[in-house]
Amino acid sequence: MMRSLLGLGLIALLAVLVALAIGSVNIAPAELWAVVQGEGSSLHRTLVLELRLPRTLAAFATGGLLAVAGALMQVLLRNPLADPYVLGLSGGAAVGALLAMLGGLGAVLISGSAFAGAMLAMVLVFGLAHGTGSWTASRLLLTGVVVAAGWGAVITLMLALTPSYKLPGMLYWLMGDVSYARTPWPALLVLLLAIAVVMPLARNLNVLARGPMQAAALGVSVRPLEWTIYLLASLLTATAVTTAGSIGFVGLIVPHMLRLVLGNDQRIILPASALAGGTLLVLADTLARTVIAPEQLPVGVITALLGVPTFLYLLHRSR
Amino acid sequence: MGSRWLSCKIVLGSLALALAQPLFAGQTQHCAIDDGGHKLCLSSPAQRIATLSPGATELTFAAGAGAKVVAGVNHSDYPPEALTLPLVGNHTKIDLEALLALKPDLVVTWVTGNPPAQMDMLQALGLPLFAIEPRTFEGVSDVIERLSILTGTQQAGFAEAERFRMGIAAIAEQYRDAEPISVFYQVWETPLMTVNNQHLIGKVLQLCGGVNVFADMPRLVPRISTEVVLEADPHVILTGSVDGSADNQLDHWKKYSKMSAVANNNLFFVPASPISRPTPRLLEASRDICQKLDIARAR
Repeated sequence: MMRSLLGLGLIALLAVLVALAIGSVNIAPAELWAVVQGEGSSLHRTLVLELRLPRTLAAFATGGLLAVAGALMQVLLRNPLADPYVLGLSGGAAVGALLAMLGGLGAVLISGSAFAGAMLAMVLVFGLAHGTGSWTASRLLLTGVVVAAGWGAVITLMLALTPSYKLPGMLYWLMGDVSYARTPWPALLVLLLAIAVVMPLARNLNVLARGPMQAAALGVSVRPLEWTIYLLASLLTATAVTTAGSIGFVGLIVPHMLRLVLGNDQRIILPASALAGGTLLVLADTLARTVIAPEQLPVGVITALLGVPTFLYLLHRSR
Repeated sequence: MGSRWLSCKIVLGSLALALAQPLFAGQTQHCAIDDGGHKLCLSSPAQRIATLSPGATELTFAAGAGAKVVAGVNHSDYPPEALTLPLVGNHTKIDLEALLALKPDLVVTWVTGNPPAQMDMLQALGLPLFAIEPRTFEGVSDVIERLSILTGTQQAGFAEAERFRMGIAAIAEQYRDAEPISVFYQVWETPLMTVNNQHLIGKVLQLCGGVNVFADMPRLVPRISTEVVLEADPHVILTGSVDGSADNQLDHWKKYSKMSAVANNNLFFVPASPISRPTPRLLEASRDICQKLDIARAR
């Protein structure tokens, strides 16, 4: 158990080192070592310490947040297709971000507006799903999916009404890209806090994954647990989307991949998701900025290109 | 006798008509080849012109046919007279009903900017389309001349085309021996985009003795990494500003204080619309950029 986490941690570290070493500008390993020791040319120091390091950490944190959020959503909704965006959080964040862009606001306000949009989406879905009747997972899922469709329509409407010179920036935001990350620290902090909060709950989550009736019979207070997961997953997703736009795929596929390999024990899956999600996004971002360098690709393309064959291979092998 | 005379007269008459036809046609047919390679002939000068891009609006006014323009699209904002034009949508989404209702007898389109499906439909409806997209300074003059032929305003059009041609030639002459200075032109901040030298903006930089650090990129408007800009370390960073809006700024470079453009405070804004449209206003935009590069050279 601990061995697999340790292994994932080592892979993550390796991915981060690769990300620091590779970029549009070639930096030889010796020069990289000089930079690590606090020497090296000022250009190389700037490239590694001010560009690659924050970006890599932001990619890691975002990937980790999305994967953990995805794992939580899949348990909460008891639906293998659930991902961090299924309840419309990314839609709300996108509407917030696009509104800020439409208003010509700067990057900090775009992030703030995206976060506010995600929070609004969360409260909206929660309130609507709560309604007058009982609060069930399927009701939450349906509400979320319909609200997400609503956000989608608003986004399309806004894109249609936007002056064309602003479109590239908006479309790139919608595709998600780590180059938007201004600082990795809030995302990293939220990821660490989330792991700290969720680990004590992991045992109860294992029980909940078997169904709410069974969980209740086994003495788990289902309702508060479900609320906590919903709130937590929403916060993680909102932080991820605020950091790097709505990067798809990581939150859906990483938890499934890990379950295929490690089994469905949340005590392992949740921390493993943080490590594996982070690693996947770091590697994908490194490829996105180097494959056709100095030109840049959107990172979402690469996460899918890396993730789809890996996932299909694992799925095929598991039978 | 009488009938022979009559038939003779008819023969002569039709002969005269047959002889006159090509001559007559040559005087009234207004023909020009558009930038898509299609020849358009109008039997009389266009009187109601719809322009389907801001650049097309501006060029048609430059051709001396401003009074005959009946439609523009969003952002058809120059010259100021164009601001009162009825709009037929966005250049990427034309309101075909509104366009047809204006009964244009010439539609000036944008080769790569207008949706091909809508253009095909207009063609099928029998509207005379003239697609333009100048890629060079001479292309700007040339398209103004061709438009003026279709609108019967050759005198004004050819004069304006010549004014532009001479103006550019004068700048080229003035800056022929200017000290080369490396320039990064930022098209957009996030994602970071620039232009190569096939782009008119790249040609303006060249004109002023600027050396575009991304001159040889394969794509016209490539998306690039911050890393390569830092490595190229340009002396000047330029960008087009849109109404002082906050979403394309240069402040993000200031944290790299060792960059020579930042150290020498050579971060400049130029008005976006004159530099980004292939119109005679490129002349003023070029003078503006040349001056900015002169300031940078002096520092």
